[in-house]
Amino acid sequence: MKGFYILGGYPDMKKFEEVFKYIAEKADFVEVGLAYNDPVADGPVIAEAASKVVKSNIKIDDILKIVEAYKKSKVYIMTYANIFYQYGLKEFSQKYKNLINGVIIADLPNRMHSFFYDNGFDIPVIPFVTPESRDEDIEELKGSKADFIYFVGVRGVTGSEVNFLDTELVEKVQFVKKVTNKNVVFGFGIKTKKDTEKVMTYADGFVIGTEAVKRQTNINEFKKYIESIIR
Amino acid sequence: MKGFYGEFGGQFVAETLIPVLDELDKSFELLKCDKDFNDKLNDLLKNYAGRPTPIYYAENMSKKYGCKVYFKREDLLHTGAHKINNSLGQALLAKKMGKKRIIAETGAGQHGVATATVAALLNLKCTVYMGSIDAKRQSMNVKRMKMLGAEVKVVDEGTKTLKDAVSAALREWVSSCNTTHYVLGSALGPYPFPKIVSHFQSVIGKESREYFENLGIMPDYIIACVGGGSNAIGVFKGFLDVESVRLVGVEAGGISDKDGEHAARMSFGKKGIFQGSLSYVLTDKSGQISNVHSVSAGLDYAGVGPEHSFLKEIKRCEYHYARDKEALDGCLELCKLEGILPALESSHAVGYFIKNASKFKDKTILINLSGRGDKDLEIILENMEGTI
Ligand SMILES: Cc1ncc(COP(=O)(O)O)c(C=O)c1O
Repeated sequence: MKGFYILGGYPDMKKFEEVFKYIAEKADFVEVGLAYNDPVADGPVIAEAASKVVKSNIKIDDILKIVEAYKKSKVYIMTYANIFYQYGLKEFSQKYKNLINGVIIADLPNRMHSFFYDNGFDIPVIPFVTPESRDEDIEELKGSKADFIYFVGVRGVTGSEVNFLDTELVEKVQFVKKVTNKNVVFGFGIKTKKDTEKVMTYADGFVIGTEAVKRQTNINEFKKYIESIIR
Repeated sequence: MKGFYGEFGGQFVAETLIPVLDELDKSFELLKCDKDFNDKLNDLLKNYAGRPTPIYYAENMSKKYGCKVYFKREDLLHTGAHKINNSLGQALLAKKMGKKRIIAETGAGQHGVATATVAALLNLKCTVYMGSIDAKRQSMNVKRMKMLGAEVKVVDEGTKTLKDAVSAALREWVSSCNTTHYVLGSALGPYPFPKIVSHFQSVIGKESREYFENLGIMPDYIIACVGGGSNAIGVFKGFLDVESVRLVGVEAGGISDKDGEHAARMSFGKKGIFQGSLSYVLTDKSGQISNVHSVSAGLDYAGVGPEHSFLKEIKRCEYHYARDKEALDGCLELCKLEGILPALESSHAVGYFIKNASKFKDKTILINLSGRGDKDLEIILENMEGTI
């Protein structure tokens, strides 16, 4: 499961459309980020890009129109809880549950998923596991209706340095797979083909964010980068 | 649901923080009933911070406005504001949990100074996050924190005020939570912080309740300013069960009702999810957090503690706002009438009282003076040129 995170509407709608169209054909899944102006889980690259998108007043529905037009792979929407909450949990869900495969919400920990579901949200919320997750919390994820589990490999924000072959990390991912019987996708900190090769020795997939967003402003560079990863 | 006040509250944070928040909750529940812990805290509150703070009957003001006005003098505490109650409690808690370092966010700088102070006292390393606009307008407090040995990290992102200081502290905490405790500065954020902060601030209400019980009366009104809501919840807590006491929170009305020109979340905000909890928040329809404005850095914040939203919803407390100008006028009036220079935050409570004085005729009112105004001198002088 090779996935990439791109930021919806960045640097403008036209360029986003180009990038999405391209990546939808190449990747196994695409994470489309919806910009938020208090992005506590994002590193400087994504946070700065998001702040530009917020200033240009781009509408969520317009981003999802592009997703609808070109969707080929699975698509997950990644954002923060208030974005969905203000849209209306039920409204968003009814409108998009047939289009998107799940959501990744940086400030919605696993135990709060029920808050979304209880309020009419019907799209699967992707659970997180982190190096700190406790065994009993991991066991609870067995029942999740999501396609995969998102393993946040880094203590900190996106774009930080990681040792992908750290035995603690590797064992944790293996434990998650064993206990939940679900695919585990490794996120945060991946930059190069080499990184992905390391991660793929134990995880079922990876997602690259910062490095993809960095190149979203230039479609040729973006293509070159994506190719270097998935060739 | 655990961690909620009615529909408000919760834990809207990164999954990484969940084990830490659970550990914090567990330690707090154990320690808050622990005799040693409370003896140590009470000793420090008394002999270091200066508790109990007096309640002062303001005779001149009472005469002028035809009512009985009392002030709870949190401004007389060490470091100049109620923030020290919470910082002492949380730093002791951190120490008991084996943490070697604490971090904090600050708007006006009072919470930063209080945290830097207790860090020095308890031999903990300390980093304080502060928006660059706040660092500029409260530069004296930045210097104080540095003298106390704290590292001040100036945050030059987003709105460059309290919101971004909180975000920066939360971000940092995600990476360092194994060794570091985040001394959150108000009754805000993810559970259990609202509970912990209001517990440590409830000493204000407890002392006030005792005072009035000894007098054999109860106030008709209690008025407190509401930034994140910690001084207000602290004093309100002492009287929640006395129905006849009307509890009034005063937010920053800024310069107008227009989006971005105030911080009146209860009047103009809506329910939303922001920095750890579901509460009233100033947000637009697309989910972006609105810009806010207040002459006082400590009230200049888009969110509010979840327990306040709950108290508003069940109509136990009422929330109003005072404009910048009304706060400044309130500040000056208290100086002139009583010789007390209040913080601009607390001045909102005073300003609201003065503006609505006719409503309070013949009543007994307790105003919580959350802090003193030395830190605000420059801003006050800048804004009141010609009137002083
Ligand atoms: C003196 C003073 N009062 C009030 C506040 C507002 O905070 P809270 O609502 O948590 O009491 C601050 C915050 O910086 C403050 O310094």
